[in-house]
Amino acid sequence: MKKHYLLSFVILFAVVLASCAPAAAPAEEAPAAEEAVVEEAVVEEEEVEAPVCVEVVCEDADVAAVSAADVDAACAADAYGCAVIDAGQTVKIGMSSPMTGGYADFGIDAENSGLIAVKDACGHAGFSFELMAEDDEGGAEGGAAVANKLAADPTVVGMAGPLFSGATAAGIPIYDAAGIPMLSPSATNPPLTAMGSAVFNRVPFTDDAQGAAAADYMFNTLGFTKIAVLHDGETYGKGLATIVKSEFEASGGEVVVFEGITVGEADYTPILTTISASAPEAIYFGGYSAEGAVLSNQMKSLGLEDAVFFGCDGTFGADYLSLTGENGEGSYHATPKEPPATDTKANFDVCYESAYGVGPVVLSPFSYNSYDCTTALITAAKDASMLGEDGKLYILRGAMVDAIRGLTDYTGISGTYSCNDIGECNVEGPQFWVLTGGEFVKAD
Amino acid sequence: MLPNEKTKSSLKLRNILKYVRPIFGILVAVYIIWRLYLVFIVQNLYGPETWTRLLISGLIIGGVYSLIAIGYTLVYGILLMINFAHGEVMMTGAFAGYFVFEAAKSINVPSAVGNPDLVFANAYPVLSILIAFIAGMAVSAAIGYFLEKIAYRPLRKAPRLIPLISAIGASIFLQNAALLLFSPQTRNYTNPEILSRGNGWKILINGSKVTLPYTGVFTFILSILLMVGLLFLVKKTRLGKAMRAVAMDKDTAALMGIDVNQTISNTFIISGALAGAAGVMWGLHNGMFHYFVGFIPGIKAFTAAVLGGIGNIPGAMLGGMLLGLVESMGPTALDISYQLKDVISFVILIVILIFRPSGILGEVLAEEKI
Repeated sequence: MKKHYLLSFVILFAVVLASCAPAAAPAEEAPAAEEAVVEEAVVEEEEVEAPVCVEVVCEDADVAAVSAADVDAACAADAYGCAVIDAGQTVKIGMSSPMTGGYADFGIDAENSGLIAVKDACGHAGFSFELMAEDDEGGAEGGAAVANKLAADPTVVGMAGPLFSGATAAGIPIYDAAGIPMLSPSATNPPLTAMGSAVFNRVPFTDDAQGAAAADYMFNTLGFTKIAVLHDGETYGKGLATIVKSEFEASGGEVVVFEGITVGEADYTPILTTISASAPEAIYFGGYSAEGAVLSNQMKSLGLEDAVFFGCDGTFGADYLSLTGENGEGSYHATPKEPPATDTKANFDVCYESAYGVGPVVLSPFSYNSYDCTTALITAAKDASMLGEDGKLYILRGAMVDAIRGLTDYTGISGTYSCNDIGECNVEGPQFWVLTGGEFVKAD
Repeated sequence: MLPNEKTKSSLKLRNILKYVRPIFGILVAVYIIWRLYLVFIVQNLYGPETWTRLLISGLIIGGVYSLIAIGYTLVYGILLMINFAHGEVMMTGAFAGYFVFEAAKSINVPSAVGNPDLVFANAYPVLSILIAFIAGMAVSAAIGYFLEKIAYRPLRKAPRLIPLISAIGASIFLQNAALLLFSPQTRNYTNPEILSRGNGWKILINGSKVTLPYTGVFTFILSILLMVGLLFLVKKTRLGKAMRAVAMDKDTAALMGIDVNQTISNTFIISGALAGAAGVMWGLHNGMFHYFVGFIPGIKAFTAAVLGGIGNIPGAMLGGMLLGLVESMGPTALDISYQLKDVISFVILIVILIFRPSGILGEVLAEEKI
């Protein structure tokens, strides 16, 4: 079976290459335009119904060099100074996400989307951009370690992350000191923007919004009056569970159990047994898919057969699906609202699928957000850069921090958003999904 | 005991400690009894069905802990060292069993006309489970054997802390080797249908269906059988006699014509095979596992071995069962948060060691053996 997939992938790849090459070649020969015009290669396919990933053709515009005196003056005036990129180096956008362990799907998905974003964004003044995706294992220790590593690299100018709230909370002070603007695609823990950081911004909805929406959905739409709330004891999961509990109780429901579990275990039967004694209609879980899958699997043989597993944006994804199988049927999960159907989105979907073999928003809910964050950071870096007479690229860190905080009506794949003065640029959400027949189906 | 420590002040300290420790132990014991009284008599929240379910899950995990704990105890009894890589030996067993089941899943067996083809795992379930256990035990036994040859044998004459460091190194090596070989992803055991996870016999207690999971019953019975087999091996066979002789006194045993090196190797093979069986059971019952799966059960089983009295085989079995039950029932019985279940286990370990420093069934060791 695997050989067949491989073979068809190779054939597909060959077809794409063959069809792209002749169309792209003339574009490269065309004389450099006065502006950085992004041309889209038109691809003719024999099979019309299969869309093909349209790659952006990059053209480097001439950027006027700035005199050394002007560069020095601008850098001295900037709040954080300049990032100096020597000729031949790349401008780096960092990413801090779990790439190994039980939450690896989130990090792999973010990296995949970020790589497409970097490819689409092209270079600037002869310098190209590079995504530096580092593994933080989703935790605070890893988040701080990655932050220190990236802050020590003078060519890192932005951070498209971190993905997880725990890692973000640990990283913020370090990025703050280094003047690296952050734009997180998925850190939803509410207090993060209240830490008074100038550099931290985030794209997703907060857990205040998610918790209220989930409590409302369970109480009003599904009609539950008695639920149990579990969390994994981490920054994100515990914060979210606390909000769900208070919102659910505020709307008149009863939370019979509110408990934390230890992460990374394979057996949660004791706590589920205790919960089953009070017979709740649903179990809400704030946490990630590794633990969520174990809970869903073990619920079924402990007198909780009829209880609904209600997850969150941390439990959505292919990982949960493959680890639970039939036991996951009927469970609820959350993602950001589905983005509007635009050409950019359609092309991103095709590019993602052809490059990685799965579609976006399969591994984790945040593919579009990750693409948007990386693109926004690269755009800000281009705007804040100066080409020195010495051939080095100078990027004003303070100007970039301000540009990200001041994003207004920025149109990405996820939608159009603006950041407020504490760094909330929330897209709409959440959208709930119910697992039916082995796939996630939108719940109304 | 070094002579210079026997000064006046240290004697005074020992006298104080003599009183402080039992007082601490009694305080904790009183607290535990008070919480039990609150939960069982005053609140009485949970019916018999809840306790039965907790008992079942405790016995199952206890059986796995016991099997791993025996490995610690066997090695300690003979070499007086803690084999900290033992949890990783179990992890390799879990991987071996997983690959057997994956292979059994991918082979199609043609069946009678009219019926759809079955996969090997469902056509010959007993055979595939047997092969999985043999593979798991063989791989783990081989890992245990080479672990001793490579990491411990050269250090046999070294001070006692040195092989301990070597064991920790071996543990990290095995974890990272599995990480690189098999990737860090979480994998899921595919059980044959007769042992599918979550299914089981249903008993009606207090109007509520309590499931006796097939995997759990299988795991428990198999671990008991393996333990009985081990006790027979140690007590009744020539190999067991040799092991006991080497544990008692290596030099004298060598003078009696016992091949000490071979006996030590055999001990590692046996403890590895038991850990491998525990690994396959872990996979069959819990499903999910990864390269790091051996670490926590390893630590827990070590605790169980100390609890029961390290060096004592029935003690390791008892300690494992006890630890499994305390972990499962402790938080509910004491009405304490589930995040603190390890705290409960270790507090109970401390209390038991205060009153019985050599463990529940542990012999009082002679000075030179400690």
